[in-house]
Amino acid sequence: MARFSLNNSGDLRTALFGPGSFKYWSVAPLLVVLVIFTVLPIAQLLQMSVSELEFIEGELVSEFIGLRQLDNLAKDPIVGIAIKNTLVFVVAVVLIETFTGFALAVAISRTTTLSIVYRSVVIIPLLIPPVAIGTMWSLIYDYNYGLITTILIELGVQNPPLWTADPDLALISVIIVDVWHWTSFMFLIMLAGIESIPPSLLEAARVDGANELRMIRHVILPMMAPTILVAMLLRTILAFKVFDQIFVLTSGGPGTATQVISMHIYKVFSEQFRLGYAAFLSLMVAAFMTIFVVFYFWASRVVRRRLG
Amino acid sequence: MNKRIGNFSRRDFLKAIGALSAGLAANPLLHSSIRTMAQDVMSQPPITILINDSPWFPGFAAMVELYSETTGNEVNLDVTPFPGMLDKTRNAVQAGESEYDAVAITEQNIPFFYNSGLLKPILDIDADYTLDENIISYGDAARWDSDLGVNGPMGTLLGIPINGNIQLYYYRRDLFDDAGIEPPKTFDEMETIAEQLGNPPRLFGNANRANPIWWEFGAYVDSYDAEYVRLEEDGSWSVGFERPEGLEAVQRWLKLGRTWAPQNYADLGQGDLLALMASGRLAQVHMVGAAAPNYDNPEISIVGGNMGATVVPGVTAEARSPRTGMWVMSHPDNLPAERAAAGLEFVKWLTTKDNQLAYAKAGAIPVRQDTYEELATDEVVGWWTSAFAESTPFLHPETRLPETPLIRDSVSTRLAQAYVDEISPEEAVGLMASEIRTVMEDAGYTVS
Repeated sequence: MARFSLNNSGDLRTALFGPGSFKYWSVAPLLVVLVIFTVLPIAQLLQMSVSELEFIEGELVSEFIGLRQLDNLAKDPIVGIAIKNTLVFVVAVVLIETFTGFALAVAISRTTTLSIVYRSVVIIPLLIPPVAIGTMWSLIYDYNYGLITTILIELGVQNPPLWTADPDLALISVIIVDVWHWTSFMFLIMLAGIESIPPSLLEAARVDGANELRMIRHVILPMMAPTILVAMLLRTILAFKVFDQIFVLTSGGPGTATQVISMHIYKVFSEQFRLGYAAFLSLMVAAFMTIFVVFYFWASRVVRRRLG
Repeated sequence: MNKRIGNFSRRDFLKAIGALSAGLAANPLLHSSIRTMAQDVMSQPPITILINDSPWFPGFAAMVELYSETTGNEVNLDVTPFPGMLDKTRNAVQAGESEYDAVAITEQNIPFFYNSGLLKPILDIDADYTLDENIISYGDAARWDSDLGVNGPMGTLLGIPINGNIQLYYYRRDLFDDAGIEPPKTFDEMETIAEQLGNPPRLFGNANRANPIWWEFGAYVDSYDAEYVRLEEDGSWSVGFERPEGLEAVQRWLKLGRTWAPQNYADLGQGDLLALMASGRLAQVHMVGAAAPNYDNPEISIVGGNMGATVVPGVTAEARSPRTGMWVMSHPDNLPAERAAAGLEFVKWLTTKDNQLAYAKAGAIPVRQDTYEELATDEVVGWWTSAFAESTPFLHPETRLPETPLIRDSVSTRLAQAYVDEISPEEAVGLMASEIRTVMEDAGYTVS
């Protein structure tokens, strides 16, 4: 195997221009794209995050302030609430959607009649734009005219819940909408995983006398572990970035009940015009997510090793 | 007019044109004067305007159509939802050359754009231009005093008002007449009326906008003489929430917003208030003036012909302080001279008295006092244009500083928290006071 070494100019020349060098050159276009579209924007963000930026007399004036954004972070009354709400939201939706997506996938994979209809119906929410979903649910939740309140009043409920207008229920209301929207995403991944399990394995388990529950516990779940872990990772990353649904449904309210980190960054950037601090918060979130993903890969490797 | 009309439906557009045509047909004098104005406009290159998709947009679009028809000048519109306006404007003014010849800027973004130096001074485009004295000042919204870093009468002319949105107090005239009630001038009277007429859940006595919460609340703090920040005579700045009146304003807002409102008061946005009023479930409301034409639209309202409007009440009749929420039209500094001139020509045409009359009849909100006074007796729009005319002496714009967005953010957050009892009113006022003081001191202002 050719080794790429910077210690020996002869080796370097051979590696770059000699036989077998094509594998290095073939990744060059990808490297260029990566530098232009990933490294440069991150470098720019990094530079912005240690600066105070202002437009003065038509020019963008940048003043280096080092780590002073940490002072702004300490003074920011919302960031802590937004992080807490985001974490609650992410944990809740990922767990609920994983469970319901898996349950639906198992159920529908067992169905032979109308299977195509069930599959199509379940993925409909995934096809709807989040803004439309937010609008639709804000009408459903509406206390004065909404569908749920109307039905509950017809059923004789004296004080129907206020949903998004109740600070104690608002985050739960948002979680319900997200579960409705994204369960189909988990379902699709899980279904693909279940259908890739060799039928002979399931048949053998059945011959050995396993009932449905045992088959799920001892055959399907272990076989599906890698799929479930990847699906949960993807969903965690997406849930952490939630913005449009909450923006339309509650705008972060009432009070600060549904304020999440993406919405806070949007406000800092677009309403407070603090470009530097918004860049700092964005980097902070990106760093947190990167650490989380690395940790997740490590943890999932451990889990898979234990499952054999 | 070009076909780039964004979200504006063909139906809305035809309705606006219909309303405008009816207005013109009924007033031959007006029609002839518009023709006369058109003759003053030279042939101009095609222009593109960035405009927001707001309830008054059909009126603006109708005027663009009229301008194109009568002058032969082509106008393209980029119609953008409100949340997208800031980024599109920012991108345009920072580009090598702006794609827009004129951009609409909402009042809350005026400090950012005026202070940035990215707009072309109007007198650099047309040295002979003077702002007509009948165009309402809205707290010198057209001018930026770069020495003081705030709007001021001696400032550079950077924009021309094109939408005179302000807050109005709306009420159900039929219910008031039946009960023998006069429209209120004070918050105390508002409370009495809410108590007298409220019959929930069929009819709510009053409701306030909670999402977002800061704009209408401004009329309370200003009326209580507790403006967020105020430039004192000695040149220092004071913080309103450090005065006892700040707490009184918050308490009054909470009481009026929660006591007689629907149970979901913490979640009410502008659309909710409009829906409650238009469906006959609200006796009175303090909200945006641009909503007025909606109440006469039979497709969305059952209260047409039964609505009244007047100046937003205050702590006393003399201290009434409705906030402004108007728009200016400006021209990016990165435009060649002839493009900026073509853009300005349209704005000059739009803000003449006769064209402002047509503008109002087409469902938009004029910016001239003489237009409001002339329309005050109009059978169709008189009920709300008279309230606009009456409000002018009381208008109290937000202090527009580059730091205003940070101040507004503190108020939005803390007031919203108090609204749902996350924190007490006293805590909210204390936090707003300290946060606003920090913002001002960090920015280098002397705070008394």
